[in-house]
Amino acid sequence: MKLIELKKVSFNYRVIRTTSNSLKELFRDVLHGSVRITKLEALQDITFTLESGKVLGVVGGNGAGKSTLLKIIAGVLPPQDGEISVQGTVAPMIELGAGFHPELTGAENTIFFSALIGRDVKEVKGQLLEIGDWAGVTDHLDFPIRSFSSGMIARLAFAAATQERADILLVDEVLSVGDEKFRSATRKRIREQLALGTGVILVSHEPSIIRELCDEVLWLEKGKIRLLGETDHVMDAYQASQLS
Amino acid sequence: MNQSRSIKKEAQLVRLLVSRNLTVRYKRSVIGVGWTLVNPMLSSFVLWLVFANNFGQRLASGQQYAPYLMAGTLLNAFVTVGITMSANSILENASILTKIYVKPQIFTLASAIAGLVNFAVGLLPLALVCFIAGQPLSATAPLVVFVAFFLVLFVAGAGLALSVLFIRFSDSQSISIILLNMLTYITPLFYPITDLSPKMQKVVSLNPLTSFLDCFRWSFSGNASATLGDWIYIAVSGIVMFAIGNLIFSKSWKKVVVMLG
Repeated sequence: MKLIELKKVSFNYRVIRTTSNSLKELFRDVLHGSVRITKLEALQDITFTLESGKVLGVVGGNGAGKSTLLKIIAGVLPPQDGEISVQGTVAPMIELGAGFHPELTGAENTIFFSALIGRDVKEVKGQLLEIGDWAGVTDHLDFPIRSFSSGMIARLAFAAATQERADILLVDEVLSVGDEKFRSATRKRIREQLALGTGVILVSHEPSIIRELCDEVLWLEKGKIRLLGETDHVMDAYQASQLS
Repeated sequence: MNQSRSIKKEAQLVRLLVSRNLTVRYKRSVIGVGWTLVNPMLSSFVLWLVFANNFGQRLASGQQYAPYLMAGTLLNAFVTVGITMSANSILENASILTKIYVKPQIFTLASAIAGLVNFAVGLLPLALVCFIAGQPLSATAPLVVFVAFFLVLFVAGAGLALSVLFIRFSDSQSISIILLNMLTYITPLFYPITDLSPKMQKVVSLNPLTSFLDCFRWSFSGNASATLGDWIYIAVSGIVMFAIGNLIFSKSWKKVVVMLG
């Protein structure tokens, strides 16, 4: 089943070139006729599909458009051109700990984050212990998040996002954080969900992770598709280009 | 797309956001919810010290100046703080909105409702002040619910419209403070409207907040007169403001979301 389908999707940032972002100064600049709008192309003509049970890796240098692509799939950014269809529930892990408030407790944050990604709060309340156990932070759930280490926050956010199976997982660099134990636990959980038909989009700078998990790889360069295809084929070319 | 979530899920998120908003605010301050009780009393007390001998003497017969001030202060705090907070809510939650798909309007609405909760808490000290001033609460007091409902729509609508400006222009916040200040002065917060020149009376009675305030004072303790026209005016201005705010917001969201980073 096709979970994600993008057809010629483009996205550009329109930037108003003024000296500052002040209303008074914009008014002055408009009067002087010195306002310029430039387009920064972040993505151009991106076409691909993601089937259920598959992992698509996304690689590319800084500013290649990887995060913009994830944000468009997550629904956070509206594409300006092209068609996009996303079927099913999405668990976005573009940044682990996004939506956590430092003053609120681990449990409060888990509930709030789950509501943000569209889970049922009553169910999540019953799963708190399970989530805490998986993340290894059960004893800390009643303390404010500011007392958590960054590793604990990452584990808790990952546990909350994956507690219930989502149809689509969006993963940005998340698998490279934490210690070896956490890394292998996250891989295991992703594999479990893959087996149940979840589709994954995985952005990473680490070739070993991409090679290990991905069925296909999309190589982005300056917002365009440089290469899209079977993992080893794309990664050989990508890594060769990185060395030269 | 997965983006059409059920109303139930969105209502649950609004509820959580309101309580998060209030918990965070109260956790930061030592006296917590006590501050919400004391703050309007303190500011109306100062106004009372300054104006009791002139404006206070010229209210219509049967009206009491202390509850008059307190009701004005409460409503004004709801409007100015509420609009500022809800206009800020989108910027404040930018880190969420750029990473997780949530209807952004939910944050604005939740801030306006958090303001409503503070307003509702403030009704307790207002009742106390009425009691001290020897003014009994009216049987119409439950009608305050309608005033509050339309005021939430008004605040959320204004907040939505402003939030777009707040994202785009960093100095729009200080400009909005000035505008809200002006709005405060053309609301009969601490003066009776009859004290103004005929021309100014017209201006002040065009301000929807004047009608909100009249309806509020009248229904709570009969401390003003409110006409049917006032009730219609608050309903219309609440609904229209909410509609306009939503329209402006949904038209510009696509353009401003990229500025959130």
